[in-house]
Amino acid sequence: MDLAIETQDLTKRYGTLTAVNKLNLQVKRNTIHGFLGPNGAGKSTTIKILVGLLKPSEGTARVLGKEVHVDDADARLNIGYMPELPRFPKHLKGAELLDIYGRMYGMTQQERSEQIPKLIDIVGLKGRENDFIGKYSKGMQQRIGIAQALLNSPEVVILDEPSIGLDPVGMVEVRELVKEISKEGMTVFVSSHLLFEVEQVCTHVTIINKGVALVSDTLANVSGMLKGPAMLNVEVAELSDEVVQAIKSLPYVKETSVSGNMLNISLATGDDVRPQVSQQITQAGGVIISMNLKRQSLEDVFIQLISNQKEAKA
Amino acid sequence: MSTANPESERASPSWFNRFWAVVRYEMLWNIRKKKFIGVLIIAFVLASVQFVLPAFLDIGPNPYSAITFSAGNLSFVLFAIVIAMNSISGEYESGTIVPLLTKPVSRTMVFLGKLFAIFVVLVVTYLLLFTYSTIGGFIVYGAQSDLHLLPLAIIGDVISTFIWIAIILAAGAISRSSLLAVLMAFGLFVALTFGTSIVASFSDNPDLVNAMNYLPGSGASGTLNITTGQNITISNVTINTLASVSSGTDSIGVNLVKLALFPDANASFYYRNVLSTDPTQNIRLLYTEPLGWIVARSILVAFAYIAVFLFIAWFAFKRSQIQE
Repeated sequence: MDLAIETQDLTKRYGTLTAVNKLNLQVKRNTIHGFLGPNGAGKSTTIKILVGLLKPSEGTARVLGKEVHVDDADARLNIGYMPELPRFPKHLKGAELLDIYGRMYGMTQQERSEQIPKLIDIVGLKGRENDFIGKYSKGMQQRIGIAQALLNSPEVVILDEPSIGLDPVGMVEVRELVKEISKEGMTVFVSSHLLFEVEQVCTHVTIINKGVALVSDTLANVSGMLKGPAMLNVEVAELSDEVVQAIKSLPYVKETSVSGNMLNISLATGDDVRPQVSQQITQAGGVIISMNLKRQSLEDVFIQLISNQKEAKA
Repeated sequence: MSTANPESERASPSWFNRFWAVVRYEMLWNIRKKKFIGVLIIAFVLASVQFVLPAFLDIGPNPYSAITFSAGNLSFVLFAIVIAMNSISGEYESGTIVPLLTKPVSRTMVFLGKLFAIFVVLVVTYLLLFTYSTIGGFIVYGAQSDLHLLPLAIIGDVISTFIWIAIILAAGAISRSSLLAVLMAFGLFVALTFGTSIVASFSDNPDLVNAMNYLPGSGASGTLNITTGQNITISNVTINTLASVSSGTDSIGVNLVKLALFPDANASFYYRNVLSTDPTQNIRLLYTEPLGWIVARSILVAFAYIAVFLFIAWFAFKRSQIQE
């Protein structure tokens, strides 16, 4: 399998705390792989091992087929990395910073003069590139952080919580940018605690909690892995027992509950059964005011996986 | 944006290009620091005071003013602090270490680049300061002699300052705190200054007095046995200034110049008991040694401290794990 990132039993301990616990991660090339987990799940620690900032306590990590070691400079030539809440020397100007980093990557003068203005434009810093970074807002630092991660046209881009600190417009722009760079052949590994962000951008997802990977698959498979029971909420005028009993008699109805005029139906199927339910209610003399089908989202999977983990531990 | 191409991995850039990028990164950071510019101004003011005060005292011409100028031991520590205090620890404090160490530059290269940039900034600072002191020497003390020895004075001051730079870098790399690095370096400086002053004032033990020469600082204070050339007219005050000698690492520059002027001179170190009423007891010779040996020893001691503390700084930096 052609993998951009692979870890085997990757473990990182800080004293008695195990931040990452035997993590086996596989990120295929040319995918946008979301690394999802609550705060403190071990996402940033894993990423810091991948980029050579931390040494694992046990296990191995490979990026682009090469085992990662702390302080292996050449291994970072084809990796772009944006840290969580990146900070850059405030005495440097934005363009200056990119120029210096470009020199570190061995980019020629011509490459730098082509790439840097392009990136500054893409991340929306045009006109501010000659300002000192000390004058940049949090969001602007985030933007220059993305620019420096793409500077060397890397094969793998690792973005650690790229949306933190950005306003809603900025967050949308980042999501579009991530999709864009993936189209250009880069593998994007993006950590986030924002479910909707991962859902909107990623093709693959790994959910991590307390240093343990709970699931890792394509986004479609992960979202569908706990398919059903979907919830159907129906508002019925003059909700009667006949209507409730009629609904209960349906084979795919698992449970029902009534709250005022609202009939909450727990379904044993992920299929859209609204026409059948509608027909049944009408035949039992009910009048439907509104109907809302709530399918399983990544958020539900996420919450369920984490609560399963808690139960298993208990 | 150019497309990533797995078939054409970026070739490893030359060592020099990467190193030079780190030097640029550090130099720009250093010379734009407000506190660096502030201390440079203070240094020039202090140098000016050195010229203005003696002018009021009317001590006459001194052809050796320029070449025996030294930034001074407090300035060594201050310059070291402002140039090096943020160099490593500041990267940790501000979080800028994270993007820096994820670029294709090794930690050794980053360390050496920072060190080189510090060296360049320090040399340029001292070049400016000595140029200023030479011009001031001409104005206040008249024609200046043996100006070809000025590089020795500058090299000596750079070596003296580098001891404190190495100490600050080591303290900063271990503690990851600029404040702690400064406090440790300055605390050590104050302790050594007081300690050596107490030993110099109260000890008549030659070994103890001589031991001060193996610590960073001013070392033992003595008198140089010198005679000036036939054609040089200088005042008694100037002779006294030339004849006084400190044999520690702070005086490498001045002593290198004096050695060039008086290669065969010896320095005598005395115990002065200011409390004694017995005139035969209040001044006693402790030991005498050649100026050449004083210079060689102070340079060796300085390089030993520089090597040890730079190694500690490099080792701590190389082994550090970046959690934040």
